[in-house]
Amino acid sequence: MEDSTELIVKNLHKSFGKNKVINGINFKLTEGERVVILGPSGSGKSTFLRCINWMEEPTSGQIYLDGELVTEKNIRKIRRNIGMVFQHFNLISNMTVMENLLLAPVKLKVMRRDAAEKRARELLKHIGLLSKADAYPASLSGGQKQRVAIVRAMMMSPEVLLFDEPTSALDPESIGDVLSLIRELADHGMTIMIVTHEMSFAKEIATRVVFIDKGKIIEEGSPKEFFDHPKTPRVKEFLKKVL
Amino acid sequence: MNDFFGKIVELFSTPTYIDSLLHGFLLTIQVSYFAILIGITLGTVIALIDTAKPSKWLVVPKFICRLYTTIIRGTPMALQLFIMFFVIFAIKGFPSIITAIIAFGLNSAAYAAEVIRGGILSVDKGQTEAGLALGLSQRTIFFKIVAPQAIKNIIPALGNEIITVIKETAIVSMVGMYDLNMAAKDIGSGQNMASYIVPMFTAAMFYLATIYLISFVVKKIEKSLRKSDLRVEG
Repeated sequence: MEDSTELIVKNLHKSFGKNKVINGINFKLTEGERVVILGPSGSGKSTFLRCINWMEEPTSGQIYLDGELVTEKNIRKIRRNIGMVFQHFNLISNMTVMENLLLAPVKLKVMRRDAAEKRARELLKHIGLLSKADAYPASLSGGQKQRVAIVRAMMMSPEVLLFDEPTSALDPESIGDVLSLIRELADHGMTIMIVTHEMSFAKEIATRVVFIDKGKIIEEGSPKEFFDHPKTPRVKEFLKKVL
Repeated sequence: MNDFFGKIVELFSTPTYIDSLLHGFLLTIQVSYFAILIGITLGTVIALIDTAKPSKWLVVPKFICRLYTTIIRGTPMALQLFIMFFVIFAIKGFPSIITAIIAFGLNSAAYAAEVIRGGILSVDKGQTEAGLALGLSQRTIFFKIVAPQAIKNIIPALGNEIITVIKETAIVSMVGMYDLNMAAKDIGSGQNMASYIVPMFTAAMFYLATIYLISFVVKKIEKSLRKSDLRVEG
């Protein structure tokens, strides 16, 4: 396989019953890329993202991570290398912040407990939430929860980080905190795929923009091409509405 | 009124009456205790099968579980007790206490299953997804994430079910068993005190005290399980 190609999606289809949500997506992701996925609501952009780590099992098509075909058998192992950040944070509510961070790396023997704890403390200190290590998620604000969720994903040192509308459930003030943390990961060369409605953030952070409508990629390109010289009428219409 | 107090003195100063009450109470507790044990165990199994991800291996078990809860919840407890006594365990010399325990246990299992099932389903799907996304196994997700959260939702309703079983066991007097309810009737009958009011109120007190104690314990457990829901630390 070509070097530095991390993820390949081939002819992906996903239906929920009779409802066809993804209609043949082909996609490649290279190491260090930051792909922002845009599209109207109901276009299938979140479903596309969720198919990559089989949060939704694809109806047909193939996904390769580092050249390895994702199957029912290896999905658990593959997921360790794909971090995911959800719209509603999904911190484990019966566990403290520290327990949330340690759960996967310790249980899956990726790190020894003391090493994991040391790393967790460093990361929490970095985002200014070390004092919340022993707090339960219910006592955190939305922005704090999402930053902890990002750190939880980072604990596994994933190759790719998927963000599914990470700021859609946040108040404007917290959005800034979360976006700057994502920006920081980007600056460190993290490979990122993000579904978002934050256009200015998309423009700033993306190395590539992918526009999805009706379960298909309609247009993709650099943010400059995409926002300044859109090729398709559908994207022109979309940008007119959102910018 | 004098007579009422006289009857109280009579009841509590006659060893055979006290003995009968305590014997009845013991039977009520024995039947309830083991029935609840069966109910919760079998109920958990049914709920787990019912909430498990559909697969070809589970089609038949899932169907059986649905059918079971439908039949149990759709017929009277007293009738189920009669069927156990006069049809299924109509064996001479078979201990009636075992028959009663099985009858109430099987009945309680259907209700406990619904309670446990509801508790498991009430856990936010995002909690499971978080575990899956991290690469955790279904087993780890269930035991570390779903079950601890489900238990918080299950405990109050399960406490209610325990209380229901204790009170419902009073119908074993219908098949001639000497439980607390039957003891009250016996002590109050013509051959004994010839007045029902005091023994029946006394039996009521026994039930009430038992159930009050259980509610108290359930509340305590509930409170200690809720500590992760507190919005403030500590």
